[in-house]
Amino acid sequence: MQVFKTMFKVMRSRLPSAMIYIIIFLAISAFVTSQSTKDNKFEMNRLKVCVFDEDDTPESRALTEFIGKHNDIVEIDNNRDTITDSLYYKTVNYALIINKGYAERLAAGETAELFGSYHMDESYSVVYMSKMLDEYTGSVKAYLAMGKSLEEAVSATEAAMSQETEVEMLRVDKGGDSHFSVDFAQYFQFMPYILVSVIISIVSLVLVTMNKKDIRYRTNCSCLKNSKYTFQLFFGSFLFVLFIWLIFMVAGTVFNKEMYTGRAWLAVLNSFIFSMVVAALAVFIASFEPKDNILNLITQVLGLGMSFLCGVFVPMEILSDGVLSAARFLPAYWYVRANRMISEEDAFSSEGVMKCMLIECLFIVALVLMTILVRRLRYSSASIGSAVKKATA
Amino acid sequence: MFLHILKYELKNGVRTKDLIIWLMVFPIVLGTFFKIAFGSVYNKTEKFSAIPVAVVEETENPAFRQVLNGIESADEPFLKVTYADRAKAEELLDSGDIEGIISSADKLGLTVKQKGLSQTMLKSFVEQYTLREKIAMDAIQTSPEKAQEIISSLMSGTVSSCREIPLTQGNPDMYIQYFYNLIAMVAMFGCMTGMHVTMQNQANLSALGARNNCSPAPKLVTILACLTGSFILQTVCMLLCVTFLAFVLKVDFGDRLPLVYPAAILGGIMGVSFGFFVGSVSHMSQKTKTAVLMSASMLLCFLSGLMVGDLKGTIAQKAPWFNNINPAAVVSDSFYCLNIDEDYTRFITKLITMAVITVVFIMLGFIISRRKKYASV
Repeated sequence: MQVFKTMFKVMRSRLPSAMIYIIIFLAISAFVTSQSTKDNKFEMNRLKVCVFDEDDTPESRALTEFIGKHNDIVEIDNNRDTITDSLYYKTVNYALIINKGYAERLAAGETAELFGSYHMDESYSVVYMSKMLDEYTGSVKAYLAMGKSLEEAVSATEAAMSQETEVEMLRVDKGGDSHFSVDFAQYFQFMPYILVSVIISIVSLVLVTMNKKDIRYRTNCSCLKNSKYTFQLFFGSFLFVLFIWLIFMVAGTVFNKEMYTGRAWLAVLNSFIFSMVVAALAVFIASFEPKDNILNLITQVLGLGMSFLCGVFVPMEILSDGVLSAARFLPAYWYVRANRMISEEDAFSSEGVMKCMLIECLFIVALVLMTILVRRLRYSSASIGSAVKKATA
Repeated sequence: MFLHILKYELKNGVRTKDLIIWLMVFPIVLGTFFKIAFGSVYNKTEKFSAIPVAVVEETENPAFRQVLNGIESADEPFLKVTYADRAKAEELLDSGDIEGIISSADKLGLTVKQKGLSQTMLKSFVEQYTLREKIAMDAIQTSPEKAQEIISSLMSGTVSSCREIPLTQGNPDMYIQYFYNLIAMVAMFGCMTGMHVTMQNQANLSALGARNNCSPAPKLVTILACLTGSFILQTVCMLLCVTFLAFVLKVDFGDRLPLVYPAAILGGIMGVSFGFFVGSVSHMSQKTKTAVLMSASMLLCFLSGLMVGDLKGTIAQKAPWFNNINPAAVVSDSFYCLNIDEDYTRFITKLITMAVITVVFIMLGFIISRRKKYASV
């Protein structure tokens, strides 16, 4: 097993850079999954609202408190640049000013221009908040008209506005045993990027190194059978990919705080198949013997490209149809599709998931066939002969 | 002598494959991916458009239907309503064509598929309807004589209680800042060209360095010429990058595009001087220096929001001073200020910061590399 051993020696020299990728990925995943909630129950979105209360009366404070019930009140400096930056980077969703004289004018039944808001764009948050404020002042006005005092009107409005409507979720855990929450699915969704980056950069590099001209000539004139040599190469690559994949699966159980159950096993299988696709891709790329810097570029382009095109980084529903139909020719698309079905983001059907996995398997077959073809063409005795002639000429 | 060295520095640079790959091809590829991924995110998720919803009428509810018609005929409708039966509505919801199903019976009910802001808005819409019903009931109970008036004033969409104070004329799409950071990344990658300058003048690190050190040309002239050459190369890369983003990908930099160029070029020069400084500090091998510079510049870009867009906003809250000295953040902020601010104060501050950082790095680089002699290599 000399070839096998040598492979791992070369891999060891490259391991630190791969470990950086893996550790960063795991750290981010740990952070993301620790914030996730397991149940698929509806919750109101809480906006980050900052309030500049220029009126400072019991009524305006009551309003601030009311807003704070369903939203998070954020405090920032009352300075135009800070407000602009906070609204732009969405650290604040809505910046409200309660104008001076709010309580007085509300008591008089006026509702026009009681507030000001710093306006960045017509976003959902802005529409939502301004509707809420209109509703609040309109209701207070209505209660005032019924002859209530301002204080009574405000408390009646708050009581009326606190009525909650029950919201049903489509498919509340219809699978029964699906212990694969949408939040945990995120962990699997980001995996293609990291698998591509780590596996291609290491496996391809090792294969290219083993295939350097001098080393190849030396191996060719040894008594090692060619088929044995190839077998050891494949076996080594396979073990490495398996090792990397296992790291992620073990980390997954830690993040999920329990062993995979029910449908989660499908996600595990899906990620295993995808790792094999990436391994086949790495072998395919290596057969072109790219230089070090070219290989880095290929890794980055494939990793980022597949992730952006196939809905790894941004959800599929945001991508345009054109992009998605192009993405069908990439394996990560099918991986993400299957993952979405398993997590019930798309309707689940076992045939659908099987179909996606089957297509991933077809990618493996296609890549292996192309690798064999490229190798035949490049290393056939004829092409070696002409290379030797060139070298001696 | 200066021009002679400059000429060879330029020739050398053009023939370095790394430079072309990482400073020209990579940004173009990454920019294209950003465009594909983030191009329509803002319009689809942040910017408000009527929320598509299906209404399932389990019993006749003319009052509710009237409200819906009123909403749909407004100038900027809040909802886009489809009437359907339950099965059809669920199918629409599942395929993502609508955001929620409102079922109207005695009470309104809401079914959604995900948690999100538009779902929250639907919930508050349903609650608003229930609220108005309650107020109308309250009015009829407490003061029946005024009830009609109160109800009509409730329904006749009152004047907006809130006046909007516009903050900017610029492009409020926060995803644009991925492109800002992409330019900042190219600028920071300039450190690689900067490092090559030092490699060529350190005799123990390259054959070229050994040759340069035994030439009679003064070191100051040699290094200055090499630096000028790197600046020129980096400028070309920055011009290419900005032009590609602005004209091929049609990224909206606001209405002051001509000023984006000088900011990008100055950023690139800062990147080169950063590499020059780090390269001069030590006599480590090229591989180590590359690793240090690459990881340093990627870390700075990461903190500026190249990978996670809202990181910079978070840092601005927790440690605002860091954004003012992080070179990558200064570069991307300069584009941001140009886009968002109405005056030039912050933009000019950013430019001055870049210039100061550049001068400091170059001075330090010169001070460290002067009087270095090699007795033997």
